[in-house]
Amino acid sequence: MSTQPVIQLENATKTYGGIAALAGATFDLLPGEIHALVGENGAGKSTLCKLIAGVITPSEGHLRVDGEVVAFAAPKDASRRGISMVYQETSLVPQLTVAQNIVLGREAAFNSVRKVRNAARQVLQRLNFKVDPSQLAGSLSAAKRQMVEIARAVVNEARVIILDEPTAALTPEETDHLFDLMRSLKRSGVAMIFISHALEEALNHADRISVLRNGRMIQTGPASSFTRASLIRHMIGEDLAEQAPARPAANTRSTAVPVLQVENIRMGAMVNNMSFSIFPGEVTGIAGLIGSGRSEVAKVIMGHTKRNFSGGRIWLDGREVRYTLPAQAVADGIAYVSEDRKLDGFFETMGVAENIGLGWLAKFGRRSILAPRHRMRALADDWEKRLSIRRIGANQPVLHLSGGNQQKVVIAKSLSQEPRLVIFDEPTRGVDVGAIAEIRQIIRSIANNGAGVILISSYLPEILDLSDRILVAKSGTIAAEFSRADATAERILHAAVH
Amino acid sequence: MSADSAAAPLTLPNQGSGRRNMLERVVAAATFLLIVAFAATIDGFATTGNLGIILINSASLTVLSCGMAVVIISRGLDLSLIAQMVAGATIFGMLISGGVAAPLALLAAYLSMVAIGALNAWLIAYVEIPSMLATLASSMFIVGLFRFAVLRGEYLLLLPKSDPTVAFFAGRLLPFLPVPVALMLGTLMATWFLLNRTVAGRIIYAMGDNFQAARLSGLSVRVTAIVVYVFAAFTAITAGLIMASASGAVDFRTVTNGTLLFEVILVVVLGGIPLRGGRGGLRNIIVGVALIAVLRNGMTLMNVTTQTQDMLKGLILLAAIITDNYLNPRDAETDTAGDL
Repeated sequence: MSTQPVIQLENATKTYGGIAALAGATFDLLPGEIHALVGENGAGKSTLCKLIAGVITPSEGHLRVDGEVVAFAAPKDASRRGISMVYQETSLVPQLTVAQNIVLGREAAFNSVRKVRNAARQVLQRLNFKVDPSQLAGSLSAAKRQMVEIARAVVNEARVIILDEPTAALTPEETDHLFDLMRSLKRSGVAMIFISHALEEALNHADRISVLRNGRMIQTGPASSFTRASLIRHMIGEDLAEQAPARPAANTRSTAVPVLQVENIRMGAMVNNMSFSIFPGEVTGIAGLIGSGRSEVAKVIMGHTKRNFSGGRIWLDGREVRYTLPAQAVADGIAYVSEDRKLDGFFETMGVAENIGLGWLAKFGRRSILAPRHRMRALADDWEKRLSIRRIGANQPVLHLSGGNQQKVVIAKSLSQEPRLVIFDEPTRGVDVGAIAEIRQIIRSIANNGAGVILISSYLPEILDLSDRILVAKSGTIAAEFSRADATAERILHAAVH
Repeated sequence: MSADSAAAPLTLPNQGSGRRNMLERVVAAATFLLIVAFAATIDGFATTGNLGIILINSASLTVLSCGMAVVIISRGLDLSLIAQMVAGATIFGMLISGGVAAPLALLAAYLSMVAIGALNAWLIAYVEIPSMLATLASSMFIVGLFRFAVLRGEYLLLLPKSDPTVAFFAGRLLPFLPVPVALMLGTLMATWFLLNRTVAGRIIYAMGDNFQAARLSGLSVRVTAIVVYVFAAFTAITAGLIMASASGAVDFRTVTNGTLLFEVILVVVLGGIPLRGGRGGLRNIIVGVALIAVLRNGMTLMNVTTQTQDMLKGLILLAAIITDNYLNPRDAETDTAGDL
């Protein structure tokens, strides 16, 4: 029996202001198939998914559902045909309960709270989700929110579920659970598309993989026909030597005096008596699950969070400090590269030079009245070369750069302040494969040049490759410390979970 | 969607501000058409004498719009601008009526503006009250205080028209240059300089673009807020001096009836400065003022009542935004939360 694809995309093109985000891509999805989409940031993965989900309409080409040409005007048209999309930024209503979110858009005119809750409970049980239907959606962890979104898709009798980077915010165990669920949905005939930056997930869990590059469909084939190396080659169009960045043979710790010492920091419910020291010339990795208080403690150190700060002491170079504003921390030589660059990292309407120049200005322009524009421009050009930031036009807003280049801009903005301590929070999240190695190299070289580096990352290989010392955070405290020699992925995970 | 190396040879216009520039162009084109239509239908519209009248009459609106634009670009809003305007003019008027030397009276008026602006900035940047609420509260407080303590419940403070300083503000600096127009040009230049040439200007754009990023990068967002709101207060008192000297009175009803404040916001938005901040500049202010000034002048020459003028202004705002949306349809990709 020849199977009729549920979704066929024929020569689809989508342009934004003259730029093709998707250029003549052809794609098909078979019933009961798990199909992985891979490609660098900006390759057109999200655009392709949004075309299928009816969020956007193609500039050229068309979409067939069950062989029939359709034109979706809005996501609800797609959902009527059984197509649901689970977004990266989940689209639950935080003020409603899990149950209300699951039935959202399908409520009867008169709703009974109990009926809604029972219906939701049934679905959640069928999917083996341990989520309380009467909990507020806003109080759920990222993983649980995603589960609720999938449950909603199932309630909507979706035949096609599109998952946009579903594992980005999940722990390894939650990821396994998600793929188990996807396999069970597959058995009931649901077809799934998932976008992933973790190539192993695509190789291990997908039936077929499609590789996009620069808006074009480069290759589609059974997962077994690809290897990690061949995927990367298709994604970036060249061979990429993946290797751990060089680090000095001897320990670079120049002195025994820590650049930063933190003692018994407490903040709200997230940080609970956290203590650690950071030494110059070292990369100190902080591993841990999401919600273990790592970013929060970084924000307390920076003076970014002050409201719930409830105690603890911080020393910088042996001098006790207590910042109430990031500007004070920056003046003392601390820089923080945040985990969400779009939210609080870069200035989206400004160009590369302006972004880097503003970082420099924050530390070195405090006393001036006139903006030293030529100085800022020269400095930005210099950093652009040093970090090989690839931009299109001089005034191209940073928003339109690829994830890797955006991250390099944010890093350059911080490094232009010549910091003594740099805190990296998930530095390679949402960064294209090609730029990850470069960014790791940059992080390593900062420590090799004598500054202290804190590396907060949920990606264990990154922590293991880069760190001289590894701390494991667990529910707001440091649960374990490993030297580079003692650390293994298993031991870190064990410390983070148990 | 980020355009990556696929588009390497292309040079893009600044798409982020592209939507705004479009509105600016729509409004500029509408202004031009209005000028042509008025010139063809109204006798005495296209004369140098009338041009002078348009400039003098729009001087205080332009000066206020400069202050409001700077505040809005920094992602704030100053609802106390008109209250500051009448308060400053009242201080000046009381002092010269009481026989204080004009330079001293001016100094006192400007210094009290520094105090009001700094108080607004303190509430917004240090106490962290949203700018709309902080300035709404200070606006009500200022009006109440001045009407109670200075005017003893009156609405109106009459200025001695014969006073040389009052006469100066209503007169001419050079034979071809009335003082209000000179002050307007000076304020426009000061605004350009602040936004484009100073460190504070760079930080104002950074705050409007992404306040959290500006704060976390270590930019001095609090000091800059003081600069912003004191600058706004300076434009308020300058406009107050122009307006009071021209009419010979300070009228607190300009605050309480609210139309002037809305007109200032209308100018800024029509010129293409989004309320979410981070974008726009001097050109946008000029385009916005030009439309309103030409419209006001033309309709007054045609004896259109102010009520009809208000209705027309409302319709024009809607028409401009709708045209802009039609020319730049938004979808999920280009939509930004908080964008107008």
